[in-house]
Amino acid sequence: MAGKIIADTLEHSTAGSIATNYVVNGVEKCWVNFNGTGTVAIRDSLSVSGLVDGGAGNYTVNYSSAAANTNYTARHGSNQYHSLVTNGSKATSSSAVYAANPSHTLVDTLEIDYGFLGDLA
Amino acid sequence: MTQTPEFKGTHLWDRLCWAKENLEPHQSDYRVVYEDSVDECCRILVPDPNWMACALAGGILPEVWVYHELAKDEAQPDFVKHTRGYLLHDTEPVEAMTEEQAIEYLILKDCPQHVVETWNEGNRPTMVICKKEQLPQTREWRNAWRISDELAA
Repeated sequence: MAGKIIADTLEHSTAGSIATNYVVNGVEKCWVNFNGTGTVAIRDSLSVSGLVDGGAGNYTVNYSSAAANTNYTARHGSNQYHSLVTNGSKATSSSAVYAANPSHTLVDTLEIDYGFLGDLA
Repeated sequence: MTQTPEFKGTHLWDRLCWAKENLEPHQSDYRVVYEDSVDECCRILVPDPNWMACALAGGILPEVWVYHELAKDEAQPDFVKHTRGYLLHDTEPVEAMTEEQAIEYLILKDCPQHVVETWNEGNRPTMVICKKEQLPQTREWRNAWRISDELAA
């Protein structure tokens, strides 16, 4: 691709410098924000092919660019009491994400975010 | 219309970043409803608008068999890490698809294989492509939803 810059360090005039591997490794490789109520719809995303509505508060995010392994870190949040990702629900090409109320019952949520940090395949 | 650059050999993630910056997202009205298990409610596959833009533009997404190959690798009991990720990046990208072709691609990529292979073998279909307007507009009793005869028709 055009516009390629090869550099090991980025330096700011006053704020110091940072190695570019922090940037490469620290960037979310996939993220999505969606509405999990009504007719479920994705608001915006990167590297997501689709979403599976699996029932109340039960969603699966499918990735376009797969992770190298399942040791990636998932970030998730919702406007319900809590959201969660379980060990068994992570694959290199998808992950289930759940939203639950204070009684830990899965419930639909208006706003849910998901993303992961880790290596790509 | 934005012309997709020649992307063969470019990391898929870089291609997706290019698409994010240069293509207008396309919110599809299509939904894929399928029953993964007789004990569970039906699932609904929702296409991603940025992914759909990639499919319609062409020259970005890999062939769907690439995902199947990676899935086979991951299913091996000794799987630790993908070693054939280059298939995603080095395989000739697929050409522009219609929205209907993109939905078929998405079914092959993201629906469970057993559903894709057997959806029409029983006494009623276990997978249906529909418009989102055909789905219930409220999520009442969502965990009991099944494919109705009306939707299957």
